[in-house]
Amino acid sequence: MYLMADILINVILAFLTGSLLLGFHRKVMARIQLRPGPPIIQYLLHSLKFFFKETSFPKTASMPFYIGIVVILAGIWVTGIIVGPVTKGSLMIIFGIYAIHKIVEHNSGSSSGSPYGKLSCVRAVFSAAGELPLFAGIAIIYFVCGSMNISDIIAYQSIHGALIFKAPFAALMFFTLILTKSPYSPFAITKGKDIVSGFETEHYGFLRGYIMFSESIAWYVLLWLFLTIFFGPIGILGYVVGMIIITAITAFINATTPMLNPNHSVMLQFTITLVCLIGSIVLLVL
Amino acid sequence: MNKIKTTSYVLLIVSVLAILYALIFCPADWIVYAIAIVCIPFFVLSFGLLTMSKPKKDEEEERREEPFIGY
Repeated sequence: MYLMADILINVILAFLTGSLLLGFHRKVMARIQLRPGPPIIQYLLHSLKFFFKETSFPKTASMPFYIGIVVILAGIWVTGIIVGPVTKGSLMIIFGIYAIHKIVEHNSGSSSGSPYGKLSCVRAVFSAAGELPLFAGIAIIYFVCGSMNISDIIAYQSIHGALIFKAPFAALMFFTLILTKSPYSPFAITKGKDIVSGFETEHYGFLRGYIMFSESIAWYVLLWLFLTIFFGPIGILGYVVGMIIITAITAFINATTPMLNPNHSVMLQFTITLVCLIGSIVLLVL
Repeated sequence: MNKIKTTSYVLLIVSVLAILYALIFCPADWIVYAIAIVCIPFFVLSFGLLTMSKPKKDEEEERREEPFIGY
């Protein structure tokens, strides 16, 4: 009973917390741009509201793939909850989840039959570079801690102190990933406004609400992972404060930075990864 | 009752029963993981398919065509 209850509670908690944080993200961005912005709860209300909105399926959509891909998105982030907060399992599975997330972006765009979706689908292949910082970060964490299990990494930090001081470049690489996944990010080329809403353009009505449900869980899992991996056992208050601070920082960066074009986005992510990887190796050797 | 509605009801009932089974009978861990990964998304999907508002009959074709005008 406890395991299933644990999973259900964590999924609901992730959805509510992630939604509020994304609402907060939008609020901070609006305030920086001298706009009042919507209430913080608006993202959550939108997610729920879309479940009751009129939904029709485009004639050129590839059914049932058009719907199935949204279910897969939710499935991978429920897996993220199980591997992360519930069982504190392996970071390699988290890497796999991000790889599948990229495939979901790709296929969600192509399944709709919309040209905007198809452009986003192509950009999703480009933006696979976004996974490079995560993979390099995980490799560095393994060299420092000797394990990829989140429970082992927490145990390591309770003895040796927070990992952010031992592997700051790995933390920077992970933060780049967080920035990539945040709304209106300079790296968010798959959802660039030049292609309307990218792969989400033709997923409207309850399917959009469903995607927002998954994205709020994804945001929570990302922040939880960053705080757990680099700050160790910090308690509930630590997580709340940490998540709010990281969300505010990403909102500030996104509000003041234009969206990069696909080539620049990929090259910048690649450069950050390379510099941080070399920096991490130098720190490890010293 | 149309095909989507019937399928949604079946999915909803099956996913709720599977989640309740995992909650009450505590099967092996891997079974609980499988139920959670498959049934939670299907529960939300079937719930959404049932709660979504459908276009009026005479507007349905227009809605399905609308996003692609101009291409």
